[in-house]
Amino acid sequence: MSVVGAALAATGASCAGGVLAALAVPRARRALVVGMLTCVAGACATVAGAAAMLGHTWAAELPGLLPLSGVVLGVDALGGVFVAVGGAVAVAVALYGIGYSRHGLDGRAVQAMVPVFVGSLLLVPIAADVTTLLVAWELMALTSLLLVVAEHRRRAAVASAGRWYAVMTHLGFVAILIGLLVLAAPAADGSFAAVRAAAGALPPVAAGAVFVLCLVGFGSKAGIVPLHAWLPRAHPEAPSPVSALMSAAMVNLGVYGIVRVGLDLMGGGTRWWWLLVMALGAVSAVYGILQAVVSSDLKRLLAYSTTENMGLVLVGVGACGLFAATGNPVLAALALTAALLHLLGHAAFKTLLFLGAGSVLHATGTRDLDELGGLRAGMPVTTAAFGLGALAASTLPPGTAFVGEWLLLQSLVHGLPAPGVATSIVLPVAVAAVALTAGLAVATFVKAFGVGFLARPRSDAAAAARESPPTMLAGMALAGVACVVLAVAPTVVLPVLATVAGDLLAVAPPVSGAVTVELAGVTGALSPLLLATALALAAALVVVLPRLLVARRARRAARLWDCGAGPLSARMEYTATSFAEPLQRVFDDVLQPVQDIDVTHHRESAYLVQSVAYRRLVPDRVERRLYTPVLAAAAAWGRVGRRLGTGSVHRYLGYGFVGLCGLLVLLVLTR
Amino acid sequence: MTAALYHQLLDLTAGALLLTAVLVVWRRDLAMIIRIFAVQGVALAALVGVLAAHEGSVELAVVALGVLVLRAGVLPALLRRALAAAGDDRRETRPLVNVAASLLAAAALTLLALAVSAPIVELAPSPTTRAAPIGVAVVLIGFFVLVTRRRALSQLVGFLLMDNGITAVGFLVTSGIGLVVEVGVALDVLLVVLVLGILTGRMREVFGGTDLDELRELHD
Repeated sequence: MSVVGAALAATGASCAGGVLAALAVPRARRALVVGMLTCVAGACATVAGAAAMLGHTWAAELPGLLPLSGVVLGVDALGGVFVAVGGAVAVAVALYGIGYSRHGLDGRAVQAMVPVFVGSLLLVPIAADVTTLLVAWELMALTSLLLVVAEHRRRAAVASAGRWYAVMTHLGFVAILIGLLVLAAPAADGSFAAVRAAAGALPPVAAGAVFVLCLVGFGSKAGIVPLHAWLPRAHPEAPSPVSALMSAAMVNLGVYGIVRVGLDLMGGGTRWWWLLVMALGAVSAVYGILQAVVSSDLKRLLAYSTTENMGLVLVGVGACGLFAATGNPVLAALALTAALLHLLGHAAFKTLLFLGAGSVLHATGTRDLDELGGLRAGMPVTTAAFGLGALAASTLPPGTAFVGEWLLLQSLVHGLPAPGVATSIVLPVAVAAVALTAGLAVATFVKAFGVGFLARPRSDAAAAARESPPTMLAGMALAGVACVVLAVAPTVVLPVLATVAGDLLAVAPPVSGAVTVELAGVTGALSPLLLATALALAAALVVVLPRLLVARRARRAARLWDCGAGPLSARMEYTATSFAEPLQRVFDDVLQPVQDIDVTHHRESAYLVQSVAYRRLVPDRVERRLYTPVLAAAAAWGRVGRRLGTGSVHRYLGYGFVGLCGLLVLLVLTR
Repeated sequence: MTAALYHQLLDLTAGALLLTAVLVVWRRDLAMIIRIFAVQGVALAALVGVLAAHEGSVELAVVALGVLVLRAGVLPALLRRALAAAGDDRRETRPLVNVAASLLAAAALTLLALAVSAPIVELAPSPTTRAAPIGVAVVLIGFFVLVTRRRALSQLVGFLLMDNGITAVGFLVTSGIGLVVEVGVALDVLLVVLVLGILTGRMREVFGGTDLDELRELHD
């Protein structure tokens, strides 16, 4: 058995052990044992994924495990990327979960679901036939749903979020099911090798329909606009470790599905597929970050940021497909490398951010940024971790997201002289969308970190916040290390990712270099390490030099200038709402916020204001325009259906009788 | 047994099966309906017995005996007991479809059954499969009785007609589906009749009648 096989077997064994431990171990030690076993499973999966990325493949068939087709497993380099990412996220999250679970999440059912969820999301990228993929996908959906509703007794919103998630994920599953079954119809059996060989036999219209169905199904899991409605509900309401697992590992599998079906199984396809992917990706990126920038719920903000980042990844995937379809495989490989690197970076910083947000929620009991602030004093490690995550997410050097977006922009800009009218419109627009997204991401994370953690506490809960237990900090530290490595030395993984992308498109790896990232085929080079060093030096210079120069003069302590309005108080600070207000004005037409200002005057004089109440709500506009009519139609249809059920037993029997006779008549007539 | 005799006996028993089903549709007196149902049970048992004699199968002969005991003995007895408990209201007074229309519908359903089973007959044309459409017709007529009758007891008879039809089709098409399966099905049917009998009694106690149309307040 190869390294990959042994590591995956260990992963499976640890997950099974985790489930048994969750059921058998008493409550006092349950979280610890389950967390450690899940941690081991994640670590083994990371090893397996890394080995697969380096070129070790592995395949196995377990014919007795499922009826009819059995279970077919296989790991290639592409699947290895997602196994490694999922495993690494699971390690940090499981470690963190040990401390977090004391918060009422150490019940048997919840603890048993965590290893199953981790196992299922590692199973999806190693499934090597259609049935196994579908089963793993459904298992992942069900276990994540159960984890999302883990806290349903405490908040009513959890149940609603769970319903949204359940319906959306199952509609997505139906789309994938239809798409993959049509795709596998001409093949000898359901294995990916047979499907790949037979995919050329599909007529173009059917192939297009298959791709669109798979895009809808996998895209809904990735949180792509307009199928994102579940994401800003489920991610905030789930327990934070689960949010991290879903947001950093599970949504990636939506991208995996699109890449696997579109690029691998169907071998590229035509141009309009990928233009569609790019357009959806660009819209998701811009819309997601716009909603994030005006959100004052910390976890909702992070959830919308997931939509944004998955949008960026899909822009990369779409560009890859587009360049491959227009005969430029080198650039296509570059775009795919960029997408994969961004996906990796996103997994790292989103794990860190969600774990940090969970830590804040753990300590203060609120997610509302307007009620936080001043956490630096009580929770220094969490503050530092979230700050690092915010820097990583804000697409500025030396952040983690920067390298991926730089690569993405390089591939898009160098692809501009592509043929075709649609292409020559979409590519520049995509460049603009990526740039706009980057700018808004900076504002979003400055807001999240500055308003949420710095300045003075705006509520008693925030003032009383205390640091989380060490296991939670250790989980955050792991994710933080991953962020720093990906930011400063992305060249550790970049050549491997480039090889994966190059192999998929049958070209040489498009990116190389140990310290400097060198692009093949196009001119471009970047050294994140030197850039980070230079920035650090410049920052040090700015801080140290004035002190050296000014030190000679006498210093004196004085009160901070407060306009003479008395001591500075927390009410004078920027809140998340006020920080986002200018941007909300700029994008007023897109966001269409609902504002409500209520001024109460003094009874004696209409000129003296007693109090001003300001309420602002930014409803999801896509949701209102798209989902409300659909839901209304479904409800109307349901009301019509109720008319059929009058309560008469004879009528119910009659429906069956008439249905049967109608069917028989139809059979006779059509034969 | 000669081929001609076998053929004629098969046709006779199958014809009796269909005739009794039509008679159930025609009659309104519940006691008479139960008697007709018992006759149908005898016809079904005879059908299986003819098959057993033709194939010389002891197992099938045992099954025929079982069918006779259950469908011509036990089930009618149970139905009669339920009827006796019902008191003096012993007629299906107002069926949803009147008797003339019911008979026409039974004819139409028989035609439909013949048309639908044509492919089954074509698969392997033989005297037994040619009789199979009769079984399908009995199933459809039973379903029709189930739908159009108001009294719980006559609905129960409709359900049992369906089951008789299914059993007949099973024997005619597969020439016996194994003793174990047959015993299982028989026990199921017995259980259904027992449960429905109790249910009918409870309904009468609570509502004072077993007209199912009076239960329409039960919907949400």
